[in-house]
Amino acid sequence: MKPIVRRRESLSFAQKLSRLRERLREPRWRRYGATMLAGKVAGVAITLLIMAAVSGVFFATVYAADNPVKAADVVNPVNTAWTLIAAFLVFGMQVGFTMLEAGFCRSRETVNVLMECIVDTCLCGILFYAIGFAFMFSHGNGFIGYHWFFLQGAPETYESTGVAFLAVWIFQFAFADTCSTITSGAMIGRTGFLGDLLYSICVSGFIYPIIGHWAWGPDGFLATMGASGYFLPTLGQSFHDFAGSTVVHTIGGFVALAGAIVLGPRLGRKFKRDGGGPMLPHDLTIAASGGLLLWFGWYGFNPGSTLSAMDFVGIGRVATNTTLAACAAGLTAMLYAYTLSKKWDVGFTVNGFLAGLVAITCPCYWVSPTGAVLLGGVAGVLVCLGVELLEWLRIDDPIGAVPVHGFCGIWGTLSLGLFACGKYGATGPVAPDNSAPLAGLFYGGGMTLLKAQFVGSAIITLATFGVSLAVMYAVNLTGTLRVSEEGELYGLDLHEHGISAYPEYVISSLAAPAGMPKDLTVHGAVAQTASKFSALTSPAGD
Amino acid sequence: MTKIEAIVQPNKFENVKTALIELGVDGMTVSEVRGHGRQKGHTEVFRGREYSVDLLPKVKVEVIVDEDIVEKAINAIMKSAYTGKIGDGKIFLYKVEGAIRIRSGERGVGAL
Repeated sequence: MKPIVRRRESLSFAQKLSRLRERLREPRWRRYGATMLAGKVAGVAITLLIMAAVSGVFFATVYAADNPVKAADVVNPVNTAWTLIAAFLVFGMQVGFTMLEAGFCRSRETVNVLMECIVDTCLCGILFYAIGFAFMFSHGNGFIGYHWFFLQGAPETYESTGVAFLAVWIFQFAFADTCSTITSGAMIGRTGFLGDLLYSICVSGFIYPIIGHWAWGPDGFLATMGASGYFLPTLGQSFHDFAGSTVVHTIGGFVALAGAIVLGPRLGRKFKRDGGGPMLPHDLTIAASGGLLLWFGWYGFNPGSTLSAMDFVGIGRVATNTTLAACAAGLTAMLYAYTLSKKWDVGFTVNGFLAGLVAITCPCYWVSPTGAVLLGGVAGVLVCLGVELLEWLRIDDPIGAVPVHGFCGIWGTLSLGLFACGKYGATGPVAPDNSAPLAGLFYGGGMTLLKAQFVGSAIITLATFGVSLAVMYAVNLTGTLRVSEEGELYGLDLHEHGISAYPEYVISSLAAPAGMPKDLTVHGAVAQTASKFSALTSPAGD
Repeated sequence: MTKIEAIVQPNKFENVKTALIELGVDGMTVSEVRGHGRQKGHTEVFRGREYSVDLLPKVKVEVIVDEDIVEKAINAIMKSAYTGKIGDGKIFLYKVEGAIRIRSGERGVGAL
C-alpha cells in the first residue's frame, strides 16, 4: 500500500483526474472522502439551524396598518387619466389638420396655412382659458354660462363626472381647437393674416363656446329641452350630440362656408360649370397622411367623450363604431367618385373617410356597429355630392371643409334619430346608465328622437351661419379679410410671411388642371347670386 | 421658320397659352424658369434675418411658327402677357434651320 505522502511536483488537471479514479478504488480513500463530505454537510446544516433560531429574535414581520381605498379614490384618477389621454389624441388632430390643409393647397400658400393652423391653436388656448370654457361649460342660463372666467373659482372636479376640472378644460380646449381649425379650411389662399386672427377670435372666443353651450352646457336649452319647464316641453326628448357632429363640425363647417362665400374664390379659379375645375393639391402625400392622422386622433375625440374609463363597454363600442363608419365612408366615397370620373380619386377617398368620422361623432355611443357601417356609408356618398354642389354654386373650398364637416355633421346628427339602437342611454363616471335608452326610427323608437335632433341641428346650423356671415362681413369691412390682388398673385407665403415653403423649387404656375373640356353653360339663379356676393364683397381698392 | 421664345409672368401664362392656341399655333414647349431683368427681385425673411432673392419664378414659352404669322404671334403674346408693371417679361426671336416630325419624318413647315 502506498503511503499517503505529498508529492513534491504539482500535477496537471488530467493527472489529478486519473489519480482520483485510482483512489476511488481504494477503500481507505473512500472512507476518508466520506468523512470529509459528512463534515461539510453537518456544517451547512448547523448554520441553517442557527439562522432559523436567530431569525425569530432579530427579524420580526411587520404588517401595514389597514388602509381602506375608497372607490372614488381609484375611479376619479382612472377617469381623469383616460380623459387626458383622449385630450392628447384630439390635440394630435392638429397635426392632421395642418398636414391635410397644407397638402390640398398650392405651394405658394403653404406657409400661410401652417401659420394659420399654429396661431389658431395658440389663440384658441388663451381665449378658451379666458372666456371660452366659461361661456360653454359653466352654469348661467340656457344660452350662455357666466362663471369661471379665467378659470377663477373653479372646483377641483367638473360637475358629476368626477374628472379633474383642468383635465376637462384641456379636453374641451382640444375640441374648440378642432372647430377653429376647420373654419380656416375653406378660406385658404386668399385670407389676410390679420383678418384670419380677427375672425378666429370671434369663432374661438364667442361663436363656438356660446352656441356650444346650448347643446353641451349643463343648463343649455337644447340639452335640457323636451321636458316640462324647458324649451319645447312637448317634444319629449332633448338634443343629443355625443362628441360633437353638430357642436364642433357643423359649427366649424358653416363658419367656413360663410367665410368662403364672403371671400369669393381664389384668383384664377374657374369652376367646372365654366370649363375649369378645382386647383390641384400640391402634396397629396402630406394630405393623405394628414387624413390618417386625423382618423387616429378621432380615437380620442369619440371614445374620450365618455369622460369615463369605468364605462369600459361604452368606450369599446364607441371606438369600434368610429372605425367602422370611417371604413364604410372611405369605400363608398371612392366608389361614388369612380362613377363621376372613372378614376379612383384619392381626394374624394380621404374626404370620404373623414366624412364618415364626422358623421359617427354624434351617434357613436348609441348605435350598433351595423348602424355605424350604414350611416358611414351614406356619409361617404353625401360628401361627394356636397363637393359637387359647392363647385356648382361657384364656392371655392380648397379642402372640402364644408361638405365634410358641415353637411356630414348634419347627417350624423340626424342619423342618431334613425340608427339609435335602443340599448344605450347615458354614460357615467362609475357605470353607464341605460335606464332610458335612445331608440331611433329604425329600431322602433318612432320620430321623437329624430325630431329632437332635427330641431337642435337646425337651430345651431342657422344660428351659426347667420352669425358667422355677419362676422365675416364685418371683418371684410375692415379690409383685412381678403388679401390684396397683388399679394395673392405674388403668393401669400411671400406676401404675408416673407418666405416660401419651397425656396429651392420653382413655384408651379400650373395650379389648374389642364385639358378640361370647355363647357360654357347657362348659369343658375343660385350661382348668379353667389357670384354677385363675391362681386359685392371684394374690398374696395388695395 | 422662326422660334419665338417668350418669358412671361406665371399668372399670365394661361392667357398667353389661350391666345396662341386661338391663333392656330399647334405646338409649344413650356418650362418653369427663374430669372430677372432689370428688376431687383424680392426679399425673404427667416428667423428675423432678411435674404435677398433676385431670381424670380417665370414661365418660358417656346413656339416655332411660320414666317407669315410671326408678327401676329408676337402681338398676341404681348397683349395677353401685358400688365404694365415691372417683370412683364421679354420675347426673343431665333431663326430655325429646320424642323422634322419624328413620327412621320416630315420636314419643314409641314412638321410644325
